[in-house]
Amino acid sequence: MLLKLTGLVPLFPLIGCIINGFLGLRIGKNAVGLIGAGAVGLSFLTTLFIFAGLVMTPVEERVFEQVLFTWMSAGDFAVDFGFQIDPLSMTMMLFVTGVGFLIHVYSIGYMHEEYSFYRFFAYLNLFMFSMLLLIMGNNFLLMFIGWEGVGCCSYFLIGYYFEKKSACDAGTKAFVMNRVGDFAFLLAVMYIFNIFGSIDFTTVFHAAPEKLIYDGETVTIITLLLFVGACGKSAQIPLYTWLPDAMEGPTPVSALIHAATMVTAGVYMVVRCNALFALAPLSMTTVAFVGGGTAVFAATIGMTQFDIKRVLAYSTVSQIGYMFLAVGVGAYTAAIFHMVTHAFFKACLFLGSGSVIHGLHGEQDMRKMGALKDHMPITFITFFVSTLAIAGIFPLSGFFSKDEILYHALMDGNVILWGMGITGALLTAFYMFRLVFMTFFGESRVDPHVHPHESPKVMTVPLVILAGLAFFGGALGIPLFHGWHVLHNWLEPVFHFDMASALEHSAHLLHEQGKHAPSLTHLLEPAEHNLWVEVALMALSFSIAVAGIFGAYMCYIKMPHLPASFTKGQWGYDLVKNKYEVDELYDETIVKPTLEGSTLLWKEVDAKGIDGSVNGTAKTLGWLSNHARTFQSGFVRNYALFMVVGFISLLIISL
Amino acid sequence: MELLIFYPLAGLCVAFALGVVINNSPVGSAMSLIAMMLGLAGIFVLQQAHFIAVLQIIIYAGAIMVLFMFVIMLLNLKGSGEDASWRSRDKNLLMTVLSGFLVAGLLYKILCVLNSGEFDSPASLPENFGTAREVGTILFTEFVLPFEVASILLLVAMIGAVVLAKNKVD
Amino acid sequence: MEPITAPAIDLVSLAPVLVLSVFGIMVLVTDLFIGKDKSVLVFISLTGLLMGAISSLAKYNLPVHSFNGAYIVDHLSVFFTFIFCISSALAILVSVDFNKREGIKVGEYYSLILFCTVGMVLLASATDMIMIFLGIEIVSISLYVLAGIRRNDPKSNEAALKYFLLGAFATGFLLYGMTLLYGSTGSTKLVMIASAIRNGGVASEPLLLMGVVLLIIGLGFKVAAVPFHMWAPDVYQGAPTPVTAFMAVGPKAASLAAFYRIFSEAIPQLSPSWEILLCVVSVITMFVGNLGAIMQTNIKRLLAFSSVAHVGYLIIAIIAKNSLSSSALMFYMLTYAFMIFGTFGIVILLGRKGDENLEIENYSGLAYKHPVLALSMTIFLLSLGGLPPLAGFVAKFFVFSAALKEGFLILVIIAVLNSAVSLYYYLKVIVFMYMKDPVKEFDITLSPMTLFVIAISIFGTIQLGIFPDSIIALAQAN
Repeated sequence: MLLKLTGLVPLFPLIGCIINGFLGLRIGKNAVGLIGAGAVGLSFLTTLFIFAGLVMTPVEERVFEQVLFTWMSAGDFAVDFGFQIDPLSMTMMLFVTGVGFLIHVYSIGYMHEEYSFYRFFAYLNLFMFSMLLLIMGNNFLLMFIGWEGVGCCSYFLIGYYFEKKSACDAGTKAFVMNRVGDFAFLLAVMYIFNIFGSIDFTTVFHAAPEKLIYDGETVTIITLLLFVGACGKSAQIPLYTWLPDAMEGPTPVSALIHAATMVTAGVYMVVRCNALFALAPLSMTTVAFVGGGTAVFAATIGMTQFDIKRVLAYSTVSQIGYMFLAVGVGAYTAAIFHMVTHAFFKACLFLGSGSVIHGLHGEQDMRKMGALKDHMPITFITFFVSTLAIAGIFPLSGFFSKDEILYHALMDGNVILWGMGITGALLTAFYMFRLVFMTFFGESRVDPHVHPHESPKVMTVPLVILAGLAFFGGALGIPLFHGWHVLHNWLEPVFHFDMASALEHSAHLLHEQGKHAPSLTHLLEPAEHNLWVEVALMALSFSIAVAGIFGAYMCYIKMPHLPASFTKGQWGYDLVKNKYEVDELYDETIVKPTLEGSTLLWKEVDAKGIDGSVNGTAKTLGWLSNHARTFQSGFVRNYALFMVVGFISLLIISL
Repeated sequence: MELLIFYPLAGLCVAFALGVVINNSPVGSAMSLIAMMLGLAGIFVLQQAHFIAVLQIIIYAGAIMVLFMFVIMLLNLKGSGEDASWRSRDKNLLMTVLSGFLVAGLLYKILCVLNSGEFDSPASLPENFGTAREVGTILFTEFVLPFEVASILLLVAMIGAVVLAKNKVD
Repeated sequence: MEPITAPAIDLVSLAPVLVLSVFGIMVLVTDLFIGKDKSVLVFISLTGLLMGAISSLAKYNLPVHSFNGAYIVDHLSVFFTFIFCISSALAILVSVDFNKREGIKVGEYYSLILFCTVGMVLLASATDMIMIFLGIEIVSISLYVLAGIRRNDPKSNEAALKYFLLGAFATGFLLYGMTLLYGSTGSTKLVMIASAIRNGGVASEPLLLMGVVLLIIGLGFKVAAVPFHMWAPDVYQGAPTPVTAFMAVGPKAASLAAFYRIFSEAIPQLSPSWEILLCVVSVITMFVGNLGAIMQTNIKRLLAFSSVAHVGYLIIAIIAKNSLSSSALMFYMLTYAFMIFGTFGIVILLGRKGDENLEIENYSGLAYKHPVLALSMTIFLLSLGGLPPLAGFVAKFFVFSAALKEGFLILVIIAVLNSAVSLYYYLKVIVFMYMKDPVKEFDITLSPMTLFVIAISIFGTIQLGIFPDSIIALAQAN
């Protein structure tokens, strides 16, 4: 039985991590690279076997749970350490291990000059392990472990170039922002446990319609908490500022963690909890609007940046916004579809940019690039294909996945959401081609001392494969005719949700509480698939994309002086270029007060501590008058006084 | 009747306790402490706890305080003279207001306790309460375990004293 | 004069206390006959602790009450006895090399640890206020002396004196509280107090409440809850490092056990009044502990504040007072013992004679010179910060779930927020170890005993994180 191999998938990277972490310095760089990439390759192979196993199972039995052991149990509460394989986690596993493998291979070339090569691969493998736990866990807690694990690895990898202060700061920032999200996630998990008495996915989602009231307070709180968690991990408004800074890490890390896999974990989590979100229309609307808003917001910033990786980072934030937009209108398949295609083209773009940076010996500023297409042809072609894909040009993968989201935004959501989506599409086409034109076309602004060169095979082969996937990936979900949408048919069982019985239950629950249940029969009407609308939308979005490209062409090839002329002195442009000053806002309102408060506590309250002051009474008395206000002064009498104050305060409270 | 004796005794105790803190010379402080102990013993008598009262006088007022006096005199400690810093402390408005609040709260709480008026009917005392015989009986029956455990406590205290006071510093 | 009828004396339930005391005295006596080398004493003490732990299993069919309801052997007390014996054994093991290095040649050191353990066992098993008081005093007096055991070091002296003065002050509060409880209910036995409250046999309600407040202060001091925590950073910093580690685990666990017992067995009826008090204490304890730790530059002070914060989480278990929370308390303290001894073990290893290397800056670049030590430290710190799948996470999750079950949602939110904040300063140490260049040479003697402690702690921290189930089952068996 092929499905029994499940446990091996995360095991390989873990072993790789342990070997590289402990023996890495001794076994040499070649062996480290081989083990690092090989472990993930083996995972990918195993995943393929499992995939074959799952395909061979009948459709209605495609949920496979493998419990390794009981993790903890106390009273009526038990958590298993187990994996769940269903079409959704299978899809994730396939592209995570697949894309992960390619990026590992690429890293062998890209990181070869680094001294602590082994450390990099140890972290990278640890990341793969955590990510697979996150995807495969069969309960919320296991997912949370993976969730924290990827956060930690991301923190370590962002701060990989630890001698750069900005890298350390970026790591800390990412970590703190993620903690905000994790905090919400953990609360949601506890809340779920409180209500369901279990945190198993199957149990919870099965019992959800019976225990939760449609649009009730409980389910709304839970889902909103979950969504805050997702926002942190997936860099959505207002917790997105860490992702662009995270580009301080090595480029393969940006490709793997901050583009293809980890940052989409939030989307995966919300999709996984679709049974809960289906019951919380308010949360769904929030998700959709936050996603749509982020898509446009980040795209506008992306238009003004000059660091090649930062542009891609904002593009990632924006594209994940699209995924949330899709989730918010209930188009889960579309979200997953876009996640997969995005992993292909964004990984390719990041690796391509890495190749460019590699070729230019570390230059990241696009103003110092240009005309690189002749120097690095393979990088250029793959990069160009992926750019076409992300811009949504027919028949590349991005076209299909983005179009599906836009279609659902209009049909299941509303015009505003669709408007956000289409605006985002226009901006995306524009800034991506701005990037391509500035980097590969036009005149060379490269530093004359630098001689651009094409990257080695170990780096270009993954690029070519990823570009191929970005080109053909759309075949997974060709729309128009229902039967053709492979991904849709595949994922269908996961998203099966019996709304009728859920509404019945919630009416019943409301009745028990003596409340009147509102009539919600309109929710049960099946959505119609309107072929003509879809075709029209396709045409529209295609032309929008072309318009964006044309705009970029005009601005950056035809009339290079144009952008400067209408951005100069515009406060609006400066505002966008400074990323809407959101970082400064957070610094002023949250970071500074916290640090200052803590400093105050330390300086004023605790600076004295132990200093041998008992020895000198006279000195003690002198100091006392000077520091009468300090609390943790080191003086026993002050401590005693504080105890008395505490006593009286408690007494007053207890009145 | 009881109250007529209690209040003067209690007042004396408080006054002497203050004396311990305020007095500038260590000997004066120690003497005040002895006086306070005696006052406490009086209160114990009033509460029918004759045995405890006697112990109070023998152990505290007698043995321990005499030891204190010896130590003070042997070390020839002098009062800190003019340096009564608590009188010349900086005034701090915030602290003053805060302590004002705290004192007010404390007084209010005490008033609450007094007004609850549940002290009127104390339970009647068992026969022989507070006599040496009764205390002894209880110590060897109901409280035999604490009584024995106290010996461990004393042993630990003794070891501690020896360790800290051992002549040679190693 | 009729003779006194001797009460029933159940020595078997006292077995661990007796065994530990006997070994404590044995250490004292042996010390007279040996020279400078104290390794025999180490051996005797460790044997004593092992025997003590085993003898706590002498009773089955728990719970067993004895001594007129002054003493109990139940799962809580047995589990805690094991925690005490383990933590004392770890403390002795980390002390061996430290004492050699720092020239602490006092044989009484080991017997004081044993007697302190006796006090802790009594505390966990006591069901009478007087017994609780005696237990606390035995523990405290041993600790005062242990903190000041380096008599030629002014910092150690200062720590001991501070601890003693404030401890005496707090004992006053505690005793006063017990008196008021006795005065208003007529008994010192926890069960009798509870039944008096239940049956309306309370002489004065306000006095009773005042007694409860005073108890919170006395016990709050012993566990270092805010605002009665101020001794903790100073004393932790000044005391010899193994003693600091010892202090942070065993005595704290014992006081918490007594805390839990008093509040869940004697005065559960009054919970509407004390819940709010403990909530306030818990919340400010978490905030002060975590915010205070952020800016620390001395690792011992940082850990002191972190341990204050941990007390904040543990008080939540007392507030919840259901069966889940008592087992959560036990599990938490066990994991905490491993994490703390592991961390302090590394702190001890990094020091050398005359220079303890206690500034966090001194940890810079540890990962390059001693990757395994740095990795171990990382594991301990992350576990303290509650990162899954390490033991600290499971423990916190338990405590918080227990509280959530009783509906303390806001409290749990604050606690989770705090544990999120706490990771910041633990990470600071990790950052120094991994991401900074060394400021000075590491001159580490890898002493086998300390390494052994670290290895055990690593095992415990990971084992209890990934396979906590068997231990939880033990803690639950009531």
